[in-house]
Amino acid sequence: MSILSVRQLHIMGKQNHIVKDLSLDVHEGEWFALVGQSGSGKSMTAMAICQLLAPNLQAKGEIWYGEKNLLTLTSSEIRKIRGNRLAYIFQDYQGSFTPFLTIGQHFDEYQRTHSTLSKKARREQAVKALISVGLNADIYSRYPFQLSGGQLQRVSISIALLLEPDILIADEPTTALDSVSSFKVLQLLSKLQKETGCAVLFITHDLRHVRKYADRIAVMKDGAIIETGDKNQVLNHPQHAYTNKLIQSSPSLSRNPFKLEGVSG
Amino acid sequence: MFRILVRRFIEVVIFVLVITFISFLFVRLAPGDPVLSILQVDDVSITNEQVNELREELGFNEPLLVQYGDWFTDFIQLDFGNSYLTNQPVMEMIMSGLPATIELAVGALLVMLGIAIPLGSLAALYRGSWIDQISRAVSLLGAAIPSFWLGLLLIDLFAVRWGALPTMGRDGFRSLILPSVTLGLAITSVYVRLLRSSLIDSLSHDFIRAARSRGISEMRIFFAHAFRYSLPPVITVFGVSLGSLIGGVVVIEVIFAYPGIGKMVVDSIRSRDYPVIQGYLLVMAIIVFMVNSAVDLSYRYLNPELRLKERKHGKWS
Amino acid sequence: MELVIKKKSKRRWRMTVLFTVMATVLAVAAYTFLILKHDPALVNLGERLWPVSMEHPLGTDHLGRDVLTRLLLGAQLTVGYGLLSLFAAVIIGVPFGVIAGFKGGLIDRIFMRIADAFLSFPDTIVAIVLSGLLGPGIENLLLAIVLVKWVNYARLVRSTVITERQKDYVTAAKINGLSSFGIMRKHLFPHLIGNVLVLASLDLGKIILLISSLSYIGLGAQPPAPEWGAMLNDARPYFQSNMLLMIYPGLAIVFVVLLSNILGDYLRDAFDVKKEVES
Repeated sequence: MSILSVRQLHIMGKQNHIVKDLSLDVHEGEWFALVGQSGSGKSMTAMAICQLLAPNLQAKGEIWYGEKNLLTLTSSEIRKIRGNRLAYIFQDYQGSFTPFLTIGQHFDEYQRTHSTLSKKARREQAVKALISVGLNADIYSRYPFQLSGGQLQRVSISIALLLEPDILIADEPTTALDSVSSFKVLQLLSKLQKETGCAVLFITHDLRHVRKYADRIAVMKDGAIIETGDKNQVLNHPQHAYTNKLIQSSPSLSRNPFKLEGVSG
Repeated sequence: MFRILVRRFIEVVIFVLVITFISFLFVRLAPGDPVLSILQVDDVSITNEQVNELREELGFNEPLLVQYGDWFTDFIQLDFGNSYLTNQPVMEMIMSGLPATIELAVGALLVMLGIAIPLGSLAALYRGSWIDQISRAVSLLGAAIPSFWLGLLLIDLFAVRWGALPTMGRDGFRSLILPSVTLGLAITSVYVRLLRSSLIDSLSHDFIRAARSRGISEMRIFFAHAFRYSLPPVITVFGVSLGSLIGGVVVIEVIFAYPGIGKMVVDSIRSRDYPVIQGYLLVMAIIVFMVNSAVDLSYRYLNPELRLKERKHGKWS
Repeated sequence: MELVIKKKSKRRWRMTVLFTVMATVLAVAAYTFLILKHDPALVNLGERLWPVSMEHPLGTDHLGRDVLTRLLLGAQLTVGYGLLSLFAAVIIGVPFGVIAGFKGGLIDRIFMRIADAFLSFPDTIVAIVLSGLLGPGIENLLLAIVLVKWVNYARLVRSTVITERQKDYVTAAKINGLSSFGIMRKHLFPHLIGNVLVLASLDLGKIILLISSLSYIGLGAQPPAPEWGAMLNDARPYFQSNMLLMIYPGLAIVFVVLLSNILGDYLRDAFDVKKEVES
């Protein structure tokens, strides 16, 4: 069952056509990976969904969420959806937080926007969320600069999933993390996804993540989707030459991964 | 932080010593004999005897260093001496003039904020629009208009021709309006553009987009996130341009005959009333120090990184 | 010399216009005596306060002198004095800054202390006090201004030197065997000149305002000099009857300061200099 439908999306800058006639569907509860190299337009597509594009860019087309075309909503209407039914986590973990507000203040502001809990209840809810992502309760009173990348991404996840949205849009959440933190964060995301049943629109250039977690994938090149389908289908039997190239250039995914002497798995 | 304050204070003290000594020397060596100018006030013919008597009385016959030493010991005890002209204790004069000056400065700042904040904010939010053009024009023009000229024109328009406001003096709230507005308009121009560019910069940061993605309202994003983030450069410029603000206050006080310490010092310069001049310089140095310290403190408040990293005694301090 | 100037044709055009206007202003100011027939200092009480006429396009002032002549001559004074004091401040400040920036160490620290000491004092006040104590007269005012302003240039130059010294291209140039002076000439000087030019053009307006303000109070140019601030002082008592006498000099000041500010803005954009230059 499709909960998000993008139809003929075009994103244009002043002089360039960045995303061309893009269509995709995200199904309820699935992990959908949008894959492509830098500059393919995948992040832009994600931003366009909740009208988060930079003001010099224009988006045309339709993005259906339930009965509504998200691109035509007024700002007060889209604000009800942002963070509430559709949530984001970004690649730049430090940039996802306002430097002079504590984590707790970030939570508080967010909770007050979308709910009417008392101060005490808000704090409890926030602390509970922090713990559920494997963080300590005292993170609540820390400032973003005091936390590591992995910690910040976990906070982002905990905020994003706080109100149990239908879709979590994750824009390269682990690209800037070291591999250990990366692994932990993705594991956490996967676990929470299964627990809350939300869909994940996962933007990435790293096919290894796709292999491990995705249900379906779409491959983007130069602003257009060139191939969509079930993960195994696409990765094992790519239709498009480009997809094949992507797969080949990711060594652990190629058919005959070579093994170094003396190195075990 | 305490260490920084102390260090700064010492610097100011040293500077005050230097400047008072220099001004002391200067004032003594400057052309024009203070004794003569004091005695000539009453337009009565003076005898050499009187001149010598006064000279002796004021201690002008002592060696310079001794004079300075005397003055300094008094200064330490906050005795700034008495005005040569009126024999009133300088401290008293300063204390009675200070409220007027502060009123004026605060009034001007309020006017400035009342114009610069809305104009700068709207110019940043609606870049390239007509309001942005207006803000640019206001800022350019405002920086070019001499404040004293503006003051004169306003006086002649509002006070003389229309009689709506008093022309001069300090007599209740109404007499504060023209001087504050004049000075406020004069200082606005810098802050309008500065706020605008600082806001444009803030609004382009990723954390703004992140807040939006959480559904936070634009109003809240603007005030609680963007605006607050744009304050440091504005405050910096405020600290740096304190000099011209104070200068502006002096000019306005003279034009509007507003009885603050600015007018006091200009009058005393004309009559070579040294103790008053020195007292004024000192008070100004202290005020500048206090304001600069407040500016430093505000950075710490606005930017938690400064506050917290210092405690580690590491390479940040 | 490699200057980094943004080549936007619109900007170029505007700057040309600006330069032309400024050049005209300066030319007119410099060669006033060729154009006008009236003696700016000649008192002619019989002709006082005359309105606009062919003979006197802007009328006469309270002493019968032609306003237009005095206004144009005032340009010479006001702008000339401004440029003079600016120039002096730069001449003094730049060497200090260069030495402090290059030598570093103790000399630099001493310099910074002195500079900070100068700066912890409101500059306008110091100018007022200094010029007041030295006695009324334009030379004293200019001296006071120079004493107050040189520090800004020294600091600017010093920080430019320090910043540029650390940049990679300096090391690269040294590796390539360029002499110290060669490096300076090719890389440092353009930056220095650029920064100083921007600060100077923004300062010019402020200095002109300061000169006219203090002249108005009586601490600068003395009568009968047709300095604009002093002219405003003269015109004050006659505001009711002859308002225009107060308007002309003020407008003249606004015009010149506006020009130099716009110039400064464009220079700043052209050299792509950061905002720190302003302070």
